[in-house]
Amino acid sequence: MFRPDDRLLLMFIGIIVGICSGLAALALNKSLVAMLEWLHPYRHLWWAFVLPAAGAALSSLFLNKIVKEGAGHGVPEVIYSVSRYGGLLRFRSSFSRLISSCLTIGSGGSAGPEAPVVMSGASIGSNIAKFFSLNDRQRITIVGCGAAGAISSIFNAPIAGLVFTMEVILGEWTALNIVPIAMASVAGTEVSRILQGNQIPFSHRQFSIDLVDILACFGLAVSTALASILLTRLLRSMRKISGKVPFPLWLRAAVGGCAVGGIGIFLPVVLGEGYHSIRTMIEGGFSQGLLIAAIGTLAKILATALTLGWGGSGGIFAPSLVIGSLVGLTYHRFIVLLWPSVSWVNEGCFALLGMAGIISGMLQAPLTGIFLIVEITGGYDVILPLIIVSATSSTLCHYIEPASFYLKELVDKGQLLRPGTDARVLSDLSVLELLEKDCITVTPNMLLREFIEVVKKSHRNYFPVEDEKTGDFLGMIHLDDIRPYLFNPVMYDAVFLEQIMNPRVQIVRPDDDLSEILHRMNKNRLFSMPVIGNNKFLGMISKATLLDQYRKELRVQTTN
Amino acid sequence: METQLFHIFRNTPLGRETLLQSIYFCKKIGASPAIYIPKFTKFLMYFENDVVQVDLDESYLTAPNTASDHATELLLQGGFNPRFLEPKNYTASTLPDIPTNFDFMCCPRSISDLSSKIGLGYIGPRVRRIVTSARFPVLISSPVYKPWKSITVFFGGSANAVKALRLGCRISRVSGIPLDVFTHAENRNKEVYEKIIQKENLEEDMALYADKWHIFEKGTFEENLYEVPHDSLVILGAFGHGLIKDIVFGSKMEKIQSVISNNLLIVGPKYTATT
Repeated sequence: MFRPDDRLLLMFIGIIVGICSGLAALALNKSLVAMLEWLHPYRHLWWAFVLPAAGAALSSLFLNKIVKEGAGHGVPEVIYSVSRYGGLLRFRSSFSRLISSCLTIGSGGSAGPEAPVVMSGASIGSNIAKFFSLNDRQRITIVGCGAAGAISSIFNAPIAGLVFTMEVILGEWTALNIVPIAMASVAGTEVSRILQGNQIPFSHRQFSIDLVDILACFGLAVSTALASILLTRLLRSMRKISGKVPFPLWLRAAVGGCAVGGIGIFLPVVLGEGYHSIRTMIEGGFSQGLLIAAIGTLAKILATALTLGWGGSGGIFAPSLVIGSLVGLTYHRFIVLLWPSVSWVNEGCFALLGMAGIISGMLQAPLTGIFLIVEITGGYDVILPLIIVSATSSTLCHYIEPASFYLKELVDKGQLLRPGTDARVLSDLSVLELLEKDCITVTPNMLLREFIEVVKKSHRNYFPVEDEKTGDFLGMIHLDDIRPYLFNPVMYDAVFLEQIMNPRVQIVRPDDDLSEILHRMNKNRLFSMPVIGNNKFLGMISKATLLDQYRKELRVQTTN
Repeated sequence: METQLFHIFRNTPLGRETLLQSIYFCKKIGASPAIYIPKFTKFLMYFENDVVQVDLDESYLTAPNTASDHATELLLQGGFNPRFLEPKNYTASTLPDIPTNFDFMCCPRSISDLSSKIGLGYIGPRVRRIVTSARFPVLISSPVYKPWKSITVFFGGSANAVKALRLGCRISRVSGIPLDVFTHAENRNKEVYEKIIQKENLEEDMALYADKWHIFEKGTFEENLYEVPHDSLVILGAFGHGLIKDIVFGSKMEKIQSVISNNLLIVGPKYTATT
């Protein structure tokens, strides 16, 4: 195939992917609006609490029975695929989460559409990259383009899309990635602007921020960090609890949805993705008092954990924004109560800063939090407190929970392999690639005299011993093992190798992890180990070869 | 290097037949079976440029407490040390990743439908995807255990057919079982096929291993399939003509598998053949 230049090709494909993922994000957005409008007349009826249950159950049935994918928001799956399999994603993921999250959120479940569109955009990118037969690194870039295009489109925020992708999805900033992903972000945003206008999702009036407000931001950062940790842990424990309930998956999702519906009767702010509530809070239209705001915060956290932890489909982006604005509001009312004489900035400003705090805390991605809030609120006038809240909140969360919400599970399983890290470099190598096959095998009934002749021909210190009939590996002989007999020719015809071989040698299997092998070598002070497959000696693996290949692989991974 | 065949074990009578077939195949070619006893009805296989989700039917999860014992018993009877594959990585909590660095893989004709639906003339879409993406040939076993006494390679001159012929020669060499080559001449004479063999440096292998080269110039392809011995391992290349030609004229693989019930060893476009 004619390829003028790989960078140009990536930019071109990035734009296509940005447009497609932007359209996917818009499709979900429009479907959500349509579904919310369709169900609106039924919301006030006494049985309306079953709506989120029905939506979550249908969503679970769709995911598990029709497209046969698990629940969840999908972002960890994208990160996992990027870090381990060059961004390969299934085609079905390009639409599955859009439909399932539409059912969950549209019916009133507390979840967000952003993570599903990231999954969808990433899958679109992966499949387009497959079509163009791109290599792993290029495919990863295009997967990033899909994620960036989707976030840019849904928030009308191109920089946030770019930063989110680099900071959260790819975990690396390279020139090779930035340009196509930036193009995809622009394409995704432009699709959104053409089809639904250039709207700032949460526009607000000018805030006048004083030093006292900036100082108060530290307290807000602590509050948002605590709320982030609470949400993260509650989500995880809800998953564990629901996993123990002996119900089918769809019924579990329905139970969670029912509970959310029940909460929603008393506090409608917890229902759906909650963008309308955010607008109200930023504009200063939230009329209830401190207690209701605090209860609303806890209720939204609980509703989100019930929706997602029990099997509903959707992401945590939008609920985090709602919780953040509620935390900001509650905090503002609290400090006003404590120091009524201070002229604090409008509560809408704290709602906005709270959103940044929660996003930065949950994702442990401060830049994403800052740029997202700047873009979706349409101004840089709050940039200083925004930086303080985002940086402090993400640092505190990192201190309490070292891995972010998206990465926690991957880190626990040792499956997060970020570019340039030891684990990633070693995962791209295999034992079979590093085999040294120039060992001369010997048999147990060989005499020492014969063995000395073998030693003369070999340039290695290790000699595997194999069974003469079956060829099975029996043990190893090191040159040091024969040293006591070397200067005593009488022993040459008296000693068989069976008598001096070491049968309890540490071995490596072909499918062992190289990081584990390296750890064992260091622990036991070994420089090489035999590789045994199906009881047969396959070759030796040495620390020198391993580190040499490591260096070469690292160079490949870190060179643009 | 150790040759490995990947086998997904189904703890049912049909699964027993399939495992017996895999064990027989391994014994003949000197491979060792790597057995996977699924704990979930789906798994992923990440290939070089594709990811295939394999959806198993519920019968693969039958009696999990006896599955390992049943498989072990059959493997020991076949003279193999049982080796079970435990997935190390998971894309999602119920979605394990299965490695793809095997030399062969055994599939029933479909791995996503109940056995009652499986019959001749049907190869499931997942099996097709695996054949298309894998670097290894796929063994599609006959519905019942059927030891094979000869090897039949379908050679139509395509790139994949050449790979199939190389694989046939290799298996004949390793197993000592005679090899027959079948060619359905499609408006071409024998010389054309001989030139292809010559060009691919397969003359020597043909002389050494091929017992007979049947070239059919009359009759339809389906009619001539009757000449294939019922107890022969059939090796053929698949999806070698490109998508459009396969859609317009139909795939040879689909025709063959819908007519004969032999064990099929299918070589896909990504397979890198060695003799």
